[in-house]
Amino acid sequence: MKTIYLLLVCAMLGLVVAATASPSALKLIANESVTASAVSVAEVQDAFLQTAPNLGSGGRVVPVLEKGGPTHEAFLKEYLKKTDVALLTYYRSLVFTGKGVMPKILDNDEEVVAFVAKTKGAVGYVSAGTPSPGTKTLQVK
Amino acid sequence: MKAKNIVLAAALSMSPGLLYAQFDFHLGEQDIHIHSFASQGFLYSNTNNYLTMKTSEGSPAMTDFGFNASTQITDKFRVGAQFYDRNIGLLGNWRPEVDWAFGDYWFSRYIGVRGGKVKTVLGLFNDTQDMEFLYTWALMPQSVYPIDVRGDTIAHIGGDLYGNIPIRKMGNFSYTLYGGLRPNDAQGGYLYGLVSQTRIVVPGGFTYIPATTVKIINYYGGPVYGADLRWNTPVHGLVVGASYMKADITTTGNYKTAGGLVPYKMVTLCDPTTAFYVDYSAGRLRLTGEYRREIKNSVFDNPARVLVSGNEDARSGYVAASYRLFKRLEVGTYHSRFIAAWGLYHGDPTNHIFDQAVTARVDISPNVDFKVEGHFIDGAMVNTVLDRGFYMAPNAGGLKPTMNMLVMRLSFHM
Repeated sequence: MKTIYLLLVCAMLGLVVAATASPSALKLIANESVTASAVSVAEVQDAFLQTAPNLGSGGRVVPVLEKGGPTHEAFLKEYLKKTDVALLTYYRSLVFTGKGVMPKILDNDEEVVAFVAKTKGAVGYVSAGTPSPGTKTLQVK
Repeated sequence: MKAKNIVLAAALSMSPGLLYAQFDFHLGEQDIHIHSFASQGFLYSNTNNYLTMKTSEGSPAMTDFGFNASTQITDKFRVGAQFYDRNIGLLGNWRPEVDWAFGDYWFSRYIGVRGGKVKTVLGLFNDTQDMEFLYTWALMPQSVYPIDVRGDTIAHIGGDLYGNIPIRKMGNFSYTLYGGLRPNDAQGGYLYGLVSQTRIVVPGGFTYIPATTVKIINYYGGPVYGADLRWNTPVHGLVVGASYMKADITTTGNYKTAGGLVPYKMVTLCDPTTAFYVDYSAGRLRLTGEYRREIKNSVFDNPARVLVSGNEDARSGYVAASYRLFKRLEVGTYHSRFIAAWGLYHGDPTNHIFDQAVTARVDISPNVDFKVEGHFIDGAMVNTVLDRGFYMAPNAGGLKPTMNMLVMRLSFHM
């Protein structure tokens, strides 16, 4: 009886820890030219929705997206709160009125890392466990 | 014209590869971005001919296409241009035009300026109404976005001041202030109606009949200015806003009479337009509503050089709902209302157009979509110079008070 009780308590504690820990499945990376090292969700939205030209005090921000996959879906859900279709529609409304540009859309984490590393002002997102040499990781405040 | 439409539609259908419509290339240090789009429509109505097309027989005379190019010159300065061409029945007439072309200097999120030919912000979708691939609908709600007179509001040659202002915990506000000249839309529905119809006085007001005099119009335009304020609220997905536009329009030309040419001139004494809107998106659902009021007081001289005045107070609006059922299928419906003269009886079929539309949009691929849309229209007879697709000249037997219509539209975009 005591063993069952102990097991139940441990299971409940495990559930509580899992619920409160829940780390993000992705990380934000930026080119070394981006001066900001910590950004808010609102600032990330501004950068990707092209309502602000830069992150912090740096130069023009160049957002890059992934074509699909769990990392991309997590980014849309956590930061932009738009569906993939709605986001593409939004970008097209900017492109065809001349009021914005279509961001680069790449196939996978490796391509995103390579693009961010070599492109001034670039900001992107990759899976939390993906190596990202040549870039800096942005903390989300 | 019919053969040209069929050939174009076939080419569009069979050769999407030829319309690989977006590519980037380098010109020295510059990245040049190219995008393009095209659409082909087919309309069939059970009564009346709509939008100067022979829709009562089924008509494919609805085609448009365009492409743009843009480049970032410096971190803050971008330039670009878009070219556009269309034919809708007897409107457009395949005359290509510069849709927009401007330089854009973005100082900061709070302020930027654009100068050149700029798409005008009025309501939710005025500046993007041509881009039907952005929306569920094959035809935007015509009460607010009449396709035949898009040239009246679509763009201005001048400048914009714009920006975005975040308000802590209150979301952010996007604003646009603009001023300039409205371009002369020689191929639009307003001039078509002016030239093809004659207004006559009848008991209780006036009406339009097929033209009894010949008018040659050589200019239709004038200064325009306005503003838009859009609140991206803290409720995620909810946007509300308001727009105002003031236009001073002059139309000049000549009457062709038996005695020779007699000058024609119409000027607006007062032409303000006010719009309010709300847009809510939550996941796959989108709900939208707009209201618009256009007051148009004008004076013109008839062939006898007598001044005639016309005062109009038109109010319009729509509510719409759309839902993405599956990845490639979206459905929606809207109810659109247009009252030509608010002070007169709204139930008179010559004073209103009520349109209930139901649409299904299929995304065949990320760059190709197809729409099927049904319209159930009450009040297809409108006695107003403001027009809304119902013209006397293509309807020699007279306009019927109701109309059902099928619209299909195939679109490529990238």
